[in-house]
Amino acid sequence: MSQAITSSITTSSTTISGTTKSGTASSNRHVLHCRMESEPAGLERLCRVVRVRGFRIAGMSVESSGGHFDIALTLEGSRPISMLQSQLLKLHTVDEVVLGAQRARSVA
Amino acid sequence: MNGAQHILQAFQQHSITTVFGYPGGCIMPLYDALVDDVSVEHVLCRHEQGCALAADGYARASGNLGVCIATSGPGATNLITGVANAFQDSVPLLVITGQVPAGLIGTDAFQETDVLGMTLGIVKHSYLVDDADSLPGILVEAIALAQSGRPGPVWIDIPKDILLTQVTPEAADYQEFKPSESTKPRTDQTTHNVAIDKSINETLRLLREARQPLLYSGGGITLAGAEDSFREFAEHSALPGVVTLKGIGNPGHRNPNHLGMLGMHGCRAANRAVDECDLLLVIGARLDDRATGKPDTFAPNAKIIHIDADSAEFNKIKTAAVTINANLNDVLRALTREVQAQPLNIEAWQKQCRTWLTTGGFQAADNEEALAPITGPAFVRQLSRIAGDDTIISCDVGQHQMWVAQHYQFNHPRQHLTSGGLGTMGFGLPAAIGAQFAKPGTAVINVAGDGSFMMNAQELATIRRYRLPLKIIILDNQCLGMVRQQQELFYGNRESHINLDDNPDFVAMARAFDIPALHINRTDQIRRGIETILAYKGPMLLHVSVAREENVWPTVKPGGSNRDMIEDTKPAKKKTEENAA
Repeated sequence: MSQAITSSITTSSTTISGTTKSGTASSNRHVLHCRMESEPAGLERLCRVVRVRGFRIAGMSVESSGGHFDIALTLEGSRPISMLQSQLLKLHTVDEVVLGAQRARSVA
Repeated sequence: MNGAQHILQAFQQHSITTVFGYPGGCIMPLYDALVDDVSVEHVLCRHEQGCALAADGYARASGNLGVCIATSGPGATNLITGVANAFQDSVPLLVITGQVPAGLIGTDAFQETDVLGMTLGIVKHSYLVDDADSLPGILVEAIALAQSGRPGPVWIDIPKDILLTQVTPEAADYQEFKPSESTKPRTDQTTHNVAIDKSINETLRLLREARQPLLYSGGGITLAGAEDSFREFAEHSALPGVVTLKGIGNPGHRNPNHLGMLGMHGCRAANRAVDECDLLLVIGARLDDRATGKPDTFAPNAKIIHIDADSAEFNKIKTAAVTINANLNDVLRALTREVQAQPLNIEAWQKQCRTWLTTGGFQAADNEEALAPITGPAFVRQLSRIAGDDTIISCDVGQHQMWVAQHYQFNHPRQHLTSGGLGTMGFGLPAAIGAQFAKPGTAVINVAGDGSFMMNAQELATIRRYRLPLKIIILDNQCLGMVRQQQELFYGNRESHINLDDNPDFVAMARAFDIPALHINRTDQIRRGIETILAYKGPMLLHVSVAREENVWPTVKPGGSNRDMIEDTKPAKKKTEENAA
């Protein structure tokens, strides 16, 4: 169970407009590890959210075991990756989304 | 008991008493089971989109789950607009469609479509049932999911052969939503959590520190069933407040600190307050683009506190200083206790906001010339005065929708049914049908535009079939008014394909469905027209010819800043001359 009822306190107010918080258009590479139930259309569900929320799949590996998919996604995009994590966690059959070692090199 | 019969049993177990549907080939086993079932009222609409939107209206008006049913292929695809509408506005729906028999899936069979694939983006979750014994568990889970946390539509696609297969008694006994490892936490549960307490304390600290704090509420208040606790907080905090389109009615229209709707067609007072506030307390809202305008210039001086059932909405448009993902009732009650014990010191700010409201609220002078053409705002203001507090108004989409939002005095959010996120023309009539089934003793009025009305006009037959007493008002300007307005203001007045001056005779059309109808076109006919339809015991239609060139004011250019509101630029004298012509 990776999602919980949460609250947070931050110190500044920023507009998230365009592509990144800083407003630059550079694209970053991220690795997300997802665990989800294996169900019809499960992988489509996951990939659709990635696309709609502004990321491109640069690499993907899937292993199936015990009724689950373990998925490693290499993604490129300029939006905050935390926004995508939040959206993926809303999928009913997604159990966990963990950000891998963030190789935040620019690919743009 | 076969799969179809089990669905009806599940309806009964979950107190689902009304469903909206349309039969067809692959869903026939369910319709056959309905022949022997007396516990569920099946409402036959005349188009599957009507079914989905009626189920949506039923859910919005009642707060209960809406259910719609259709067959495979075109039946399912016709549902899509209605389901997308519910998804965008977080309305709890259960959608059941028949599918071709399992062995035929993938063979391009008659009326086969990949419903699961084509609806992934408009559902909270979906299922393709591949085993009759899994159906009971799926139904229980789907019904719970649709209504939990941030509600939304859940779609179950069921092959015809599964509907006909016997469900084993062991499987049929599945009655509880048994949380598994993958089950999401439900944010509608009572929550006591150290981190949340800390955030509530920080919220209070920022509220007390602020000189110009503003309350911003949306449709999430109603979805969370938090109307009462919201009103208590609004009253005891005495915070000046603004609402989104879907938040209309949250504070009631008698709250003296309520400034009205903000955003693209919001009032100047509301947008000014957002512009000037130093703290924005956002509750049950997602800061959508129609409300915020250009994000860079939205609430530029404010710290933001964001409280919502969906944590994915946090920091999406604006970064918040504090976020709280919890039961809204719990948070609001905690905040209320604190501000009751120690009131906020914001008298100067309250006074300033009230001054803005007197000069920058929704102003629309009632036309005093009896023979003048009717304007939308003048009509809606009279409708509000006559129809009163308890009426449900179901709108379509366009200028009339904004005039209702601006000028009708709503006292409760569930009285205002409007397609906020998707902006679905044709929503209003079927949604009114659903609302009338949900609230049979309540007056329901569909306020439509002439463009929107024609998009689901076939549902007049549904009104006739069930003798629903709802009223229909068409504000007819013989064009797609909102598009015309934007072409006038932002496209050099180059009108393009907005002319609807070949509309049918709406009075004759209604009468063809045994619905009596009236036509009015002068200001002095408004009152009598409204009173006549409201006094009539059955369904009735009022066709109102309104001025073609009237715009919704104020307005903000799409993508523009709410600071740059455009007001009516036509001199009053010229307008009077135009109206008289």
